[in-house]
Amino acid sequence: MKVDTPTVIFLGQPNSGKSTLFNAIAGHKALTSNFPGTSYKHTHSEVNIEGRLLNVVDLPGTYSLNPSEPAEKVILSHLFQEKPDLIVNVVDASILGRSLELTLELLELGYPMIVALNMVDLAEKKGIHVDPKKLEKLLGVRVVPTVASHGRGLKELLEAAFFCLDNRCPVVSLSWSGDVEEEVGRLAERLPTEIIVAGNARFTAIKLIEANKTFCVGVLAEAKPELKSELDLAKKRIEDKRRAPAYEVIAAERHHLALKLFEESSRVRRGKQLSWDQRVDDVIMHPVLGYLILLLIFLAFFFLIFKIGGPLEGLLLGPLGRLRTLLSGWLGAGLIFHLADGLVQGIGGGAAIVLPYFVPLLFFMAFLEDLGYLARAGFLLDTFMHRIGLHGKSVSPFILGFGCNVPAVLSTRILESPRDRMITSLLIPFIPCSARTTIILALVAFYLGPAWALGFYFFNILLVAAIGRLLSLFFKDPSPGLILEIPSLKAPSLMNMARKTYLELKSFVKFAWPLLVAGSIVLSLLQFLALDKVLNAAFSPLVVHGLGLPQPLGITLVFGFLRKELSLIMMLQALGVEYKNLLTVISREQILVFTVFVSFFIPCLSTFAILWKETGKKIAFLSAGLSIAVAIAASLLVRLIF
Amino acid sequence: MTRLSEAPHGRQLRIVDIQGGEGVRRRLFALGFHKDDLVEVNSQGILRGPLLIKNLTADTSVALGRGIAHRIMVDIVPDEG
Repeated sequence: MKVDTPTVIFLGQPNSGKSTLFNAIAGHKALTSNFPGTSYKHTHSEVNIEGRLLNVVDLPGTYSLNPSEPAEKVILSHLFQEKPDLIVNVVDASILGRSLELTLELLELGYPMIVALNMVDLAEKKGIHVDPKKLEKLLGVRVVPTVASHGRGLKELLEAAFFCLDNRCPVVSLSWSGDVEEEVGRLAERLPTEIIVAGNARFTAIKLIEANKTFCVGVLAEAKPELKSELDLAKKRIEDKRRAPAYEVIAAERHHLALKLFEESSRVRRGKQLSWDQRVDDVIMHPVLGYLILLLIFLAFFFLIFKIGGPLEGLLLGPLGRLRTLLSGWLGAGLIFHLADGLVQGIGGGAAIVLPYFVPLLFFMAFLEDLGYLARAGFLLDTFMHRIGLHGKSVSPFILGFGCNVPAVLSTRILESPRDRMITSLLIPFIPCSARTTIILALVAFYLGPAWALGFYFFNILLVAAIGRLLSLFFKDPSPGLILEIPSLKAPSLMNMARKTYLELKSFVKFAWPLLVAGSIVLSLLQFLALDKVLNAAFSPLVVHGLGLPQPLGITLVFGFLRKELSLIMMLQALGVEYKNLLTVISREQILVFTVFVSFFIPCLSTFAILWKETGKKIAFLSAGLSIAVAIAASLLVRLIF
Repeated sequence: MTRLSEAPHGRQLRIVDIQGGEGVRRRLFALGFHKDDLVEVNSQGILRGPLLIKNLTADTSVALGRGIAHRIMVDIVPDEG
């Protein structure tokens, strides 16, 4: 990063439209969704805006600067590391009173700041009219009304940002009630420079008073014992006077100030009429209907992908088969043919077998995320999650897992308790991700019928529940219970969904597809050199005697560790048949056993890597061991039953 | 005064006291739940599932587990007129 490139940080509460705004400005790089805390990765982009180079940072949404989730802790450290030249505080105008609490906290911090008053259209619909000029006057910083999803107000926002970068807009923190302010001031004066955070004595004093024990107070006690006793006295004076813990007094001060600012800057005409989202919410959160709809969504998810993917797959397989016959006609059976055939199998398999299921699945996931359904599913499924020792907040990582396990593991950062994070992370690899859904649909649904595939899904979910139950026996720690914000429903924009699908697809084409192609070519080479027989013989005790599968499938399981779809594509190649003629060499029961084994037997390489990074080596290996045990047990069970 | 977990649905309630551990209380404050806020119980999950609480003061909704709702004390606000 160049020294003279100014850093601009986007900061706001979850669902304030921060990532959408960031996307609109920094060029479609951050993923957005309508669930508290899903922009778990922060995104750095160096962007050229109107001829000026900016280092733009999108941090995950946070409710306050007193972090309680691991995802939120990232924010504080980033704020101090980056020393932003400007903070763009994104505020949801439709819940202005609550949103301003973070704004006030940011003002305390004292970095130059402007406010993007976002979703003003939604606020107007709710009958809330915010006067930006008035709010600007009250806060002392620029306030620009925006509608990020439609690109409204972006130009004005950028102008304000450039103005502040050029002229260092001063930021003044707003004062609280006299008695609290007095204590804060007194403490701030006595702080030695070496412990002052962000060059702001008042901010440091406030954080010392309100933060819990783990935060910098311990350092203070060691470095300056006399200051520690002073801090304790100040806290005690506040607590005696207000009859509440100091952190609560400060939270209440901000709350009241925020409400006052909201009242003074806004006119509210709250009619009695119900808006569409409230009416929809009444149905999808209904104690009975809600569950029915959840089930319907699950079924729709499944059938839609199958009904779109199946015919497409059939359509694409024909030309692929003809191409291969053509190739063998031209090239004979030598090395060149094997290489070319591997290439065609890899590319063609990806296009004809994987993409038809993968793309509709991505699109459907994007729809659920943007609508705000994940949080609602969390609410509905909380009871069931309790049965397996978790609560509703883990539902969103699980649902994300149906897309891909990797972001699902990352998103467990929204869970407060380390225990919940660990159990959820251990369970995620058992969720059938898009790769496994492809296998299930392309093998089980295609050859045994959609009812079988659906049954497979239910079996899979039961298995996850059973493993969760088992794990929670070992990690007993009580969980504090569910506290989950339910964001307002948002009509998903086709543009945003298409963009998300495109981004995921791009990363598939870039990272996964080359692996599929390389895997196919390697298998071709091994076949040419007759080395595949050696590997297959080594695996034969498990594959042939244990699972009752044809011996040539042994090698495909090894490659399944790289990408699950690879097992599917290589299966056809290893058995030496066309997709359409699969049943001539393998029975329906064997297809089922193979799918069960491949689905569970080990987290794929990327999932394993992310587990290692997020939860440590031990958990990653525990997960791998657990998967292998479950895969063997489940496939033996299936073999016994059928 | 009654517990939020036992309060009637669809009635305006005023938060009188938020009890419970420091972690839970801090989280609730951060989400915009404070003493004196007006709230309403909107729905609940089956089998003693969580409660869906609408905060009328902040105009936000939060799903709360029973255990947490049990420790929030509320007064029923009398209907106007």
